[in-house]
Amino acid sequence: MTIRPGQLVDEVELPVERGKIREFARATRTRDPVHTDPAAALAAGFAGIPSTATYSVATGHYRDQASFVENLGMEISRIVVGSVSWRYFRVLVAGDVLTATRTVESDETREGKSGSMRLVTLATRFVDQRGDLALIQREVLIERARR
Amino acid sequence: MRASPSLAVGDSPVQRRVGPVTPTDLVRFAGAGGDFNPLHHDESAARAAGFESIIAMGQYTAGLLAGLVTDWVGVEHLRAFEVRFVAPVVVGNAIDLAAEVVEVHGGEARLIVVARVGAKDVVTATARVVCANLG
Repeated sequence: MTIRPGQLVDEVELPVERGKIREFARATRTRDPVHTDPAAALAAGFAGIPSTATYSVATGHYRDQASFVENLGMEISRIVVGSVSWRYFRVLVAGDVLTATRTVESDETREGKSGSMRLVTLATRFVDQRGDLALIQREVLIERARR
Repeated sequence: MRASPSLAVGDSPVQRRVGPVTPTDLVRFAGAGGDFNPLHHDESAARAAGFESIIAMGQYTAGLLAGLVTDWVGVEHLRAFEVRFVAPVVVGNAIDLAAEVVEVHGGEARLIVVARVGAKDVVTATARVVCANLG
């Protein structure tokens, strides 16, 4: 089974929240005080508390991992994430509300030493409450051959 | 806004060592990001899948690397960040984080960013950062 490029995978709303930013900063040892101190964020010129760089990962709380994998016709036990990338158009700040729309960008099969591998590239576009694109996150899922 | 950094080839932030990674570190990250795959908090599930112990989410290490970079250059100056997952990080591993500017061109710096356990790369990344100098 191959998915055609452009197919919608899922769409979720992601609020950017001050408490969640603090959790990310602490969990990832990100020490810049702008992520946790409103006065520091203001002094640095931000409109609010800026998110950490990989905050968009928090969509994990809103998505159904098992069902999207099944929708793609993939087997979750054989999947590894090969790479992830972020392209930033503006900094997210607490109070933003993003709509995260994930689509299939490509779906390829490659022959390797241990059989055929399927590589599915997903792109998530995060659009803010004003309708502007804030960031694009891409991930390459690798489904290894059945053993 | 804070001024964008002046960066030259060879510049680096102070390296960081994180760990030994504990299950608590990973549970804390699971709470932040929402990845509750048992491989990342349940010892028996990790062993059943063939790992020696609980393994870290790739996104955990990616987040540590992003923090190293943005604490240095300012999160508002990061244009792009791309990570490749090379090998698993197991609970008990200490992770060394390092970054270095490898190219400056047209007001943008490219950094190579690496997480290692011992001598082995576990996550490699590139970052593109806005800088004050053109080249």
